[in-house]
Amino acid sequence: MVRPEPPRSRFGLSRRAFLATTAAGLAGAAIGATPPRPRMLQMNGYPLDAETPLDLLGRSYLTPNDLFYVRHHWNPTMPDPATWVLKVEGEVEKPLALSLADLKALPRASATCVLQCAGNGRAFQRPVVPGVQWRYGAVGNAKWTGVRVKDVLERAGLKAGAKHLHTFGADAPPEKVPPFHRSLELEKVREDGIIAFEMNGEPLPPLHGAPARLVVPGWAGDHWMKWLGRISPQAAPQTGFYMDVAYRWPNAPGEPGIAFKPEEMHSLTELSVKSTITEAPKSARVGHAATLRGVAFSGSPDVAKVELSDDGGATWAPATLGRDHDPYAWRLWSFAYTPRKPGRATLLARATDSRGSVQPKDPVWNQSGYLHNGWQSVDIEVGE
Amino acid sequence: MKGARRVAGALGLALGALILAGPAPNVIDEKPLPALGAELGAFPEGPMKALADQACLHCHSADMVRQQRLTEKQWTAEVNKMAGWGAAVPEEERAALVAYLVEHFGPGNDSFRPVEARPVGK
Repeated sequence: MVRPEPPRSRFGLSRRAFLATTAAGLAGAAIGATPPRPRMLQMNGYPLDAETPLDLLGRSYLTPNDLFYVRHHWNPTMPDPATWVLKVEGEVEKPLALSLADLKALPRASATCVLQCAGNGRAFQRPVVPGVQWRYGAVGNAKWTGVRVKDVLERAGLKAGAKHLHTFGADAPPEKVPPFHRSLELEKVREDGIIAFEMNGEPLPPLHGAPARLVVPGWAGDHWMKWLGRISPQAAPQTGFYMDVAYRWPNAPGEPGIAFKPEEMHSLTELSVKSTITEAPKSARVGHAATLRGVAFSGSPDVAKVELSDDGGATWAPATLGRDHDPYAWRLWSFAYTPRKPGRATLLARATDSRGSVQPKDPVWNQSGYLHNGWQSVDIEVGE
Repeated sequence: MKGARRVAGALGLALGALILAGPAPNVIDEKPLPALGAELGAFPEGPMKALADQACLHCHSADMVRQQRLTEKQWTAEVNKMAGWGAAVPEEERAALVAYLVEHFGPGNDSFRPVEARPVGK
């Protein structure tokens, strides 16, 4: 059915750069495509929520900072990097207040990994659930640089009884509205967490949490606190709406539509394995290869394979994975589809991660529409 | 070296072709995009618009509501949640507000389109 084709180069280019760069222009001519206009899809004017359009999503291994999705809970008071400090309090021997210069004087660490909003794909959840109706683009892949959470906690003298890291950002809601205060397991964040002040080699942009944000590779975006101002190791988890009600995942599957009680759920952590088709032709011809492209990622360190099906999932053929990969980063993929008969072909994509989890046909039901990873399909009209 | 020159020549030809061809067709008619956050949707006209403005817009733009497709039960839960968080909805007007939300943003709502916006720095 198919012949894999090598995926595109890792480096993304703006349309202008694309047109001005001859080699890239030739590549564009080869696939007969004008690069899409750089733009964002604004879901909510304030607090600002915006996703990357599908046609811009998988064009590069690293998502450009200005095309990276933006999610706010409340309007933040953007900290002034000159006066900003990160307080380290709680179960530590020596509380700290680190300036940006202090932070930058510590050993650097980087992680190239996926950041996905827990609610990405919520628009496809059935029955329909409330919340930002994200489609495909509340996800991106970036190189995050800063210092390891572990190094900061060691300097503060982490006490033995601490199990959870409480995190506080600069976004403050009005009046009685609950603040976006969170915590996560110290074991995970001490091992993998980074307090990042750079994104793709540039200073972390204000919309992405400048001067510094938390990076938790493999875990959903609700753990990646922006405009980080205070971290506090504690014996018990944080409480409040954004811990006890929101961002929870069912302990056991349930029928779509049921409302799990908070005690029937636990804190949502790892991303689910997912493949997104970012580019597919609207039409093709029998016997002629047509290229589909996409991205795949998981809360596991790597993606093992991406497969496509044109028979409703009865048989699958492997896509070619891009060469670039890092732990918890996405893989670009491409697939050359050669239709065998005329008519409408419906193609499905599914990913399998390095721990053997296979993307399911239908997502795990939860009443907040988190981590939707049901199979995506595209229709291609096949002519003779 | 020879190979490099040949490649450069081919690239030059391709560049020339691009210039001769002019900008790609979809470049010509593009209107400037609004900046992120600059364009906000509004609640639909109706007797409950003023209340919706007063209750909701303190914390978020109408877009947040306009994209929803919720049942009466779901809207009731949302309105009660927001009232608990301080949204200015008098108890006696909650039912009418829910009816307005269901009418415009009920399960059949397919009117919402995200705003195509200019990325920061573009």
